[in-house]
Amino acid sequence: MTEYTKKQVHDLVEGTLDWDSVHKMLSMPKDADRYKLYMEVLQDDASYDDKILLALGPRLNVVESATDGEIIVKCNCGHDFGDYRENWKLGANIYVRDTAEKMDQVYPRLMSPDTTWQVYREYSCPSCGSMLDIEAPTPWYPVMHDIQPDLKTFFEWVEMPAPAKI
Amino acid sequence: MNDLTNPVEVLGIDAGGTMTDTFFVRKDGTFVVGKAQSDADEANAVLESSKDALAHWGREIQDVYPEMVTCVFSGTAMLNRVVGRKGLRTGLIVSKGFEDFHRMGRALQCYLGYAFEDRLHLNTHRFDEPLVHIHDTRGVTERIDSKGVVVIPVRLHEARVAAEELIDQGVKAIAISLISSYLNGEHEQAVRDVVREVAAEKGQPDLPIFASVDYYPVRKESHRTNTTILEAYAAEPSRKILGQLSERMKDEGATFDLRVMATHGGTIGWKAKELARSLVSGPIGGVIGAKYLGEQLGYENIACSDIGGTSFDMALITQGNYSIHKDSDMARLVLSLPMVAMDSIGAGAGSFVRIDPYSMSLKLGPDSAGYRVGTCWPEGGLDTVSVTDCHIILGYLNPDNFLGGILDLDVPRARQCIQDQIATPLGLSVEDAASGVIELLDLSLRQHLRAMITGKGYSPRDFVCFSYGGGGPVHAYGYTKGLGFKETIVPAWAAGFSAFGCATADFEYRYDKSVDVGINDESTEEDIEVACQKLQSAWDVLKVKVLEEFAINGFDESAVTLKPGYSMQYMGQLNDLEIDSPVNSISGKEDWPALVQAFDDTYARVYADAARSPELGFGITGAILRGSVETSKPTIPTEPDAGPTPPENARLGSRKFYDNREWVEAELFQMEALLPGNNIVGPAVIESDATTYVVPTGFSTFLDEHRLFHLVEG
Repeated sequence: MTEYTKKQVHDLVEGTLDWDSVHKMLSMPKDADRYKLYMEVLQDDASYDDKILLALGPRLNVVESATDGEIIVKCNCGHDFGDYRENWKLGANIYVRDTAEKMDQVYPRLMSPDTTWQVYREYSCPSCGSMLDIEAPTPWYPVMHDIQPDLKTFFEWVEMPAPAKI
Repeated sequence: MNDLTNPVEVLGIDAGGTMTDTFFVRKDGTFVVGKAQSDADEANAVLESSKDALAHWGREIQDVYPEMVTCVFSGTAMLNRVVGRKGLRTGLIVSKGFEDFHRMGRALQCYLGYAFEDRLHLNTHRFDEPLVHIHDTRGVTERIDSKGVVVIPVRLHEARVAAEELIDQGVKAIAISLISSYLNGEHEQAVRDVVREVAAEKGQPDLPIFASVDYYPVRKESHRTNTTILEAYAAEPSRKILGQLSERMKDEGATFDLRVMATHGGTIGWKAKELARSLVSGPIGGVIGAKYLGEQLGYENIACSDIGGTSFDMALITQGNYSIHKDSDMARLVLSLPMVAMDSIGAGAGSFVRIDPYSMSLKLGPDSAGYRVGTCWPEGGLDTVSVTDCHIILGYLNPDNFLGGILDLDVPRARQCIQDQIATPLGLSVEDAASGVIELLDLSLRQHLRAMITGKGYSPRDFVCFSYGGGGPVHAYGYTKGLGFKETIVPAWAAGFSAFGCATADFEYRYDKSVDVGINDESTEEDIEVACQKLQSAWDVLKVKVLEEFAINGFDESAVTLKPGYSMQYMGQLNDLEIDSPVNSISGKEDWPALVQAFDDTYARVYADAARSPELGFGITGAILRGSVETSKPTIPTEPDAGPTPPENARLGSRKFYDNREWVEAELFQMEALLPGNNIVGPAVIESDATTYVVPTGFSTFLDEHRLFHLVEG
């Protein structure tokens, strides 16, 4: 059975773990307490006390509110995006790259999409300004709802106690 | 015992990751094997191992080294340097516009060398760090097309700037590899000369400079470039180490020239220009040794199997020849080194054993305990059970005489670890769990061995299986059981067999050059004439190189035997075959039919008569030149038959041995004390310092007059 330290999981999240260890983690059966350690590492990085249940992105998590037990989406800075069943993107700032000039800022000319076919939508936190997600849909496409987690089943899978309000 | 009529003549060295083996052979063919744990200081390990070996004869290094005539080294240090990316900082000059191809790497390099599962899954694919950093790479404007024609003349002023910048940045060597240089080397040679000039101007006239055309003028840019870089990156430091070893040996009175085992199956001087060829040599030694034994004793078809601590290496010798793989790979790099074809799997006598918690099944490797042995050796610092632990607790290996007793083993600890990690989770007794591990390993090795032989269209019935390596004699019964080999042979010096093999190898340089020739029904007489001239001129180029290598080692042309060869294929087919040329030189088109005939015959032998396809026409893809000089080789010992009953002094009593799921009493024998003709019926364990030969119930073995054990099933 493989076992890893919290430090190793931290380095994995940071992207600084050496390749041999990463390779071993990928190839060997998963260690039993990986998810627990992973959540602890994320918790250490967040500015709030609400318990992190699931990561949605590098700075975005589904958490159990420390005050009322509601399950909400939060940025690492503490910004509250509301109920986790709603699309958090609707509460984020949006910047749309929909012209060739705006594309030129991120890719050389001719190496980015034609904006009549595809645009980039950049979602950032209204409080701290961190970019939380980017989507690359056709211009007319509605805001994507990336993930609707089934938390109840999920916590059964990882064999951890589920929060009360799911 | 200083016997002047029977001096020690040959030394073979196999400096592996775990152990450094030495193999000393006297004039009459008697030999001793020495072992020492490998050391960061390779020269030290070699001397320790030599002491260990010579102690059997009651002799000292200082007496023996002066009387020796040959010494062949093979080791893993160069490979480790590449794997660990600890080589010499090297600059790279390529065709302008192609600066990134080295760091991008060939796609297959992202999974080369990985276990099967990791090859399948994209998430484990990964490119290693390039050998040369992009900041140490420069492009020079030039272009030679696929026919060898200059399209853009080389801009040498750019080469000058490139060299100046690289040297100023602090590179310790420079490799040059331009597109299509194997067809036309002018540009590369011109760039090389400019780089030399600049190095001299900068006060570094000895800066090592490697142009691919001088070393590996063969097609495939990535292969050629990787190999040329390795010559600077990995081989250059080895030159120093081998130089030191040579010096240390000279200090002890040695007068011989140290040689190194090379991937093509010959040995080369340590001062050789193409030293990267010795990148992998250990397992090849065994194949060469098996071929040599086969030649001496009349075995034409041999399945070679070498099981060490970390891997199982297999090779086939058919009709007395091993095959050569031209696009070999090593250390996850594609290379243009011709290499003795071998199949390896990452399971060995020291592989780790784990339980997959989801399927509750045993999993062996892919990593192994290496020199740290297993949980039975607490000082090794391991907590994970290895195959060795299973052997120890089941009575296969003697815990008090492991590696000649140099390690203190803790059997109860190994037992407890197997109990906790394997037996309890599986709900088995410790014995059944441990024997399950061994059965699983044997099964896996057996399947690979069978697949290698049948996959090439042969049947095990036509082969004699040679089993060697430190773990060979322990597993021989297990992985040959039921395969139906003609015979299974375990040399009494199995542990030192690779080192022995190195000592039997010819002193031989091999150079290759790509050639593009195609002749079919529509070709004219002139076309054939041109084709013949092309091959001959390639041989002429290679001849200069081969003779140059021998000149470095002090042999002049008259002492060198040159063997030209070529790679030929039916046009349109993908694979070519290497042919020893039926003629020593080609005078013109009248020699063409002989070249074609030799290929046709070989093709019919390797594949099938009916598969020959002369109607497609014939293509020559490469010219090969081997040059060799006479060397002293070990003679195979021959001793008189002493009858089937082992002598009393060979009997060591008995030991409990777990065999077919029950404890039995296995008779113990001292390997060195057994005499030719002795027959032993299992269960028995034959021990020596360097290895243990297991003969379970249902098997018997006899020792022949050449000190080869024959394992007989039933």
